[in-house]
Amino acid sequence: MRAKSNSILIIGESGVGKTHYGAQVLKRLMKGDGQLRMDGAAINLQPFEAAMESLNEGMAAGHTATTTYVDSIWPIADAGGAKGELVWPDYGGEQIKSISSTRRIPSAWRVRVLSSPAWILLVRLQQTLVSDDIFSRPLSALRGASSENREVRISDQARLIELLQMLLYVRGAISSERLRTPRLCVLLSCWDELSTNECPTAALEQRLPMFANFVASTWDRPMVFGLSALERPLSPHNRDTDYVARGPEQFGYIVLPNGERSPDLTLPIQRLLVGDV
Amino acid sequence: MNACSRSNCFAPETTCDLGFFDRSNCPSWKGRVESPGGQDEALSDELVLPWSGSALGLVDLGFVAGCKKPLVVGVAGPQNAGKTTLLAAWYLLVGRGLACSEKRKFAGSYSFGGWEAVAGSLRWTPGLLPNFPPHTTSREGRAPGLLHLAFRDADAQPRSYLFADAPGEWFQKWALNRDAVDAEGARWVAGQADVFLLVADCEALSSANMGSARGSLQLLARRLAAERADRPIALVWTKSDIPISSAMAVAVREAVLGTMPDAAEFSVSIVPSAEGGADKGHGLIELLNWTLNIRRKPVSLPPVNATSADPLFMFGAR
Repeated sequence: MRAKSNSILIIGESGVGKTHYGAQVLKRLMKGDGQLRMDGAAINLQPFEAAMESLNEGMAAGHTATTTYVDSIWPIADAGGAKGELVWPDYGGEQIKSISSTRRIPSAWRVRVLSSPAWILLVRLQQTLVSDDIFSRPLSALRGASSENREVRISDQARLIELLQMLLYVRGAISSERLRTPRLCVLLSCWDELSTNECPTAALEQRLPMFANFVASTWDRPMVFGLSALERPLSPHNRDTDYVARGPEQFGYIVLPNGERSPDLTLPIQRLLVGDV
Repeated sequence: MNACSRSNCFAPETTCDLGFFDRSNCPSWKGRVESPGGQDEALSDELVLPWSGSALGLVDLGFVAGCKKPLVVGVAGPQNAGKTTLLAAWYLLVGRGLACSEKRKFAGSYSFGGWEAVAGSLRWTPGLLPNFPPHTTSREGRAPGLLHLAFRDADAQPRSYLFADAPGEWFQKWALNRDAVDAEGARWVAGQADVFLLVADCEALSSANMGSARGSLQLLARRLAAERADRPIALVWTKSDIPISSAMAVAVREAVLGTMPDAAEFSVSIVPSAEGGADKGHGLIELLNWTLNIRRKPVSLPPVNATSADPLFMFGAR
């Protein structure tokens, strides 16, 4: 790990779980039993104060305001003792939606895209669908149907791929070889919703095949992990007694590429920063 | 919105044609005519993109063709033959991961909006019935829409493809009169395409108008044979779930294979195949694989007529 600042670009739409993951990562860093741990005390924990409070009480964190974009800087050390700083953002997911729909990238985002060596893309598989199409019904059901005006709603896969294409264009990383930088990690968030034992790559290929193909074609060694930051759905109003009793540090896991689960939420970040497979 | 004074530049919707990152520095932008009463938009610091995501126009092609000329696939056929449906079905197969294999993976597209518009009619959204794409009306003088797909081979070579989605009326007019004024788009496809797919509509060839359908297909086949100059071509029977009489099949084959004996032949249908398993229509993936495997012939330069063995004097006027 280098001693300079390591800023991660987190890409995720509204509702994928960026704030929950950030709060849980912070708590894991402070607990100190993972691949990465907090080296001393962070100067400012305020950006995640509200989220940590909610999780301590066993409740879901509130929606991050649209215009928020805050970078937290946490001093970290890895298992080998190398130290550095992790720059971790939190922002309102509508900003990503706005980039996708207006096809304009604000200059602040441009700076972040250019400067970050590693990207984490959070995808909540349960939110995306591959729509049913004509192949699932017999042709005879169509004859005689009148054509109506319908507005074209871009599919989830196409929207995700187009977003990545736009960010790669901004970064200037269009190449005939597979990309080595920026390194990409796809986190399939809210894994507990899926109730599956598949390995993450298979789950992605099954639910978002075109997107999985695109990621495999474009990046040299993209990492795909499953993530459940909370292990269960939390309500914003009712307390979860387990959480209150044991603390949110005891909850949350990632799913490794071979399908095993690990409670170390800092593992994907460590792999990204070091550049390991 | 004030348009740039250069006819090829579509700022401020897309990036400046001359490459100025900040539009206000571009001399053509500064020289544009201000529309009366129009307000100059506040110069935002947002970055725009050089592609809009819709089907690519001729000027938009510069972005995807800059690195290497993509393989242009010209889908030709009379109206209602199923040309657009074929493209839509391919996009849906790619979207479901059925068109990709270990040897070739999908690697992106710069015209997702165009693909989704074409395929939107075939997709179920809650409450709406899928239908064949609306009839693409002929727009005189305007270019056909080009839909872009990129694939990466197992040996890590990226390849781009452009699929021309054009109304059938253009091809019918072009078949009758090669230099027709309103067949400009068909001439573009004929000139630029690297591979042709001639679509024969089984439904039309078995309907009451089968005679005129056969006639227009024969004209188009003859025109393509004259204009294609050794480029690969495939005869594609669409809606092949509908049977046609053997006499008709013989007549069409004679017209196509008679003038173009090296044409490949495929039958496609979007009706699901009889055996169970993934629903991928019939013949669509085979045709797509054949199309994606086409390569342009390498150019061979004429031999050098050297006047001397010394490299410095090899080409001289002596």
